[in-house]
Amino acid sequence: MEYGLRPLGREKIWLWLLLAPTLVGLIFGAFGSVLATTGLSLMEWDLLTPPTWAGLRNYVELFTNERFLRSLSNTVKFSAMYVPGVVVLSLFVAVLLNRPIRGVSLFRTCYFLPCVTSAVATALVWNLIYGKDTGVLNYLLTRLGLRPVCWLCTENALYSVVVVNIWGAIGEGMIVFLAGLTAIPREYYEAAEIDGANRVQQFFRITLPLITPSIFFQTLISTINAFQAYDYIYMLTRRAGGESTVPVVVFSIYRNAWHFSNYGGASAQAIELTVIVAALMALYFWLEKRFVVYE
Amino acid sequence: MAKRMVCLVLTIAALVLAACGPQRTPTGPVELTMMMWGDPAELTVWRQIVADFEAANPGIRVNVEVSDWDSYWTKLKTMLAGGTPPDVFAIDAPLYPDYQSRGVLLNLQPYIDAEPQVLEGLYPITLEAYKTPEGYFGLPRDFQTIVVFYNKDMFDAAGIPYPQPGWTYDDLREIAKRLTKDTNGDGIIDQYGFYADLWDMELIWSEAIWAYGGDILSPDHSRTLINSPEARQVWKLFYDMIFVDHSWPDTTTAAEYGGDPFLAGAAAMTTIGHWVVPGYAEAGFRWDVAPMPRGPAGQATSVNSAGFVIAKATKHPDEAWKFLKFVLSADGQKRLAELGFACPVLRSVAESPAFLDQPVKVNHRVFLDSLQFARMKPVFKGYEEWSAVVGDGLAPVWAGEAELDPTLDAVVAEADKVLAANR
Repeated sequence: MEYGLRPLGREKIWLWLLLAPTLVGLIFGAFGSVLATTGLSLMEWDLLTPPTWAGLRNYVELFTNERFLRSLSNTVKFSAMYVPGVVVLSLFVAVLLNRPIRGVSLFRTCYFLPCVTSAVATALVWNLIYGKDTGVLNYLLTRLGLRPVCWLCTENALYSVVVVNIWGAIGEGMIVFLAGLTAIPREYYEAAEIDGANRVQQFFRITLPLITPSIFFQTLISTINAFQAYDYIYMLTRRAGGESTVPVVVFSIYRNAWHFSNYGGASAQAIELTVIVAALMALYFWLEKRFVVYE
Repeated sequence: MAKRMVCLVLTIAALVLAACGPQRTPTGPVELTMMMWGDPAELTVWRQIVADFEAANPGIRVNVEVSDWDSYWTKLKTMLAGGTPPDVFAIDAPLYPDYQSRGVLLNLQPYIDAEPQVLEGLYPITLEAYKTPEGYFGLPRDFQTIVVFYNKDMFDAAGIPYPQPGWTYDDLREIAKRLTKDTNGDGIIDQYGFYADLWDMELIWSEAIWAYGGDILSPDHSRTLINSPEARQVWKLFYDMIFVDHSWPDTTTAAEYGGDPFLAGAAAMTTIGHWVVPGYAEAGFRWDVAPMPRGPAGQATSVNSAGFVIAKATKHPDEAWKFLKFVLSADGQKRLAELGFACPVLRSVAESPAFLDQPVKVNHRVFLDSLQFARMKPVFKGYEEWSAVVGDGLAPVWAGEAELDPTLDAVVAEADKVLAANR
């Protein structure tokens, strides 16, 4: 690395000049908005009149506003089910599809399809599946002589949307794990077979330890996605008047800002979401040092 | 090299400054931007209104920008915050105080004082929402009263006479019960007697609470009154229709009929405004409209309007005012009547064939006659958050997941907090 190309003298100017557009975009676009959001979270602002100082009032609200606490608890519950669900299931699918089966690329395409389909369109299809009286799922249940279930009523809606979100994310996880799996040298398995290890033992003793970098990466990405999940959830749980049976934090942020003209409160909620995700990332990196195996 | 650099930087700076600098004073026509929500059918009619206006006012050009309801408000707020609002834009009366109180609208009072005849012939109740102590900051363009829509085919099949003026909420409940049927005998109801959306007050519950002698808010907008004994009678009636009579589908069931069981041909009656007329005309069954039922304290419906306001930041207030006047003129109102989505605010046009004999042949007079007992849909600051607290709060009740009375008390307490925060 040390002997790589280094910019000399005048070239440095061009270096910075050519980097400038990207850097400016990054500074104003990303860091700028983070800074602005932090600033706004300390203000009361309705977008149309000048902001007024609110101190920590918006942050106090985070602990006392029942509607926000409900959305936070929904997000946490959602993530707690979604992240393990995505990681385990997409690893499972990837292991299944990492073998020479006829038509493997067709299967892989099928699993990946939800990732490239419009969330709104798929959510509408899921609405048809989950319908109470006219839904496909309840039709099957009643055919089997069981009682129909109200999948999208308040008590079940969270679980129903977790299923849809996991289903929508398996494809991406599968790609990550397939890349990890193909990187494991075949010799390990051959050696294990000679030693008499069966498939299950091979999976737990060879595959799982060697794929920890992919598991780490996928858990990280899934966690970020879980805290930002919005589209499927909103499409499946929206009610009249822009309400949702499973309001999550992102929904609460959007609604407070654009519908209730409470940009300060919405910013404080966004900051809290960021802090939670950042704390989880710190935890993950600490765990990475202890458990992830890099060859 | 360095010299060339300086040259380059200066050139770029010059270009940037030129782009940002003040535009040359226009010698051509004045361009107005008018923004509104609506669908393609509405856009076609508005283009026509604009063409008529431009023909009558050479020297003014109007660009019409249309968005759907949700993105309209987001876009509007962003443009207002950015200091580049459209010159003229549409407003929903209940949201008007949120903008008016924040000083982004132009006070129209000086124009009205100079030409008071502009307001002549407009239905007075439609103006109320825009009146403030400092004058009018907006004017209505069309209004909506809520009436009962009924499916004639279902009434005929059951041999039940159509709803008549003077009928009561008890009659409504009784008729709804008789029209609720399981037509294919599978144990699931597939024809309901009645359906109305209960999220917003406008479609049924404000009307019913007034008819039972209650009110929505205290006159000073400081207290929510929807848990008064009178209002509780209304909630109980609705609750019983949904969960005892099963003549009104709960919200989860209604969602399976696209949220509108009446349009889906699965409910015999509904309460809604004129905006559904063009859509319902294609429903594939015969229907007509009747006035709202009476309650113990008389008859009531809700009147609400869409209006136009002028941005305070406009560079062309005079031209914008001219456009507003044109919308309220007989020519403009006639075009709006043709659109068939709403009732004209100009009485002479509303009571003319342009409105009464529009292509969809139903008893359009009911919408106008309802004004006699109509009350203005409450208009107050914080309306959107308040109605979200009430609508969201009661939603579990209408989905059959929460008890009515304790939920109502909790909702009122939280709604009052919103009112306090918006004082």
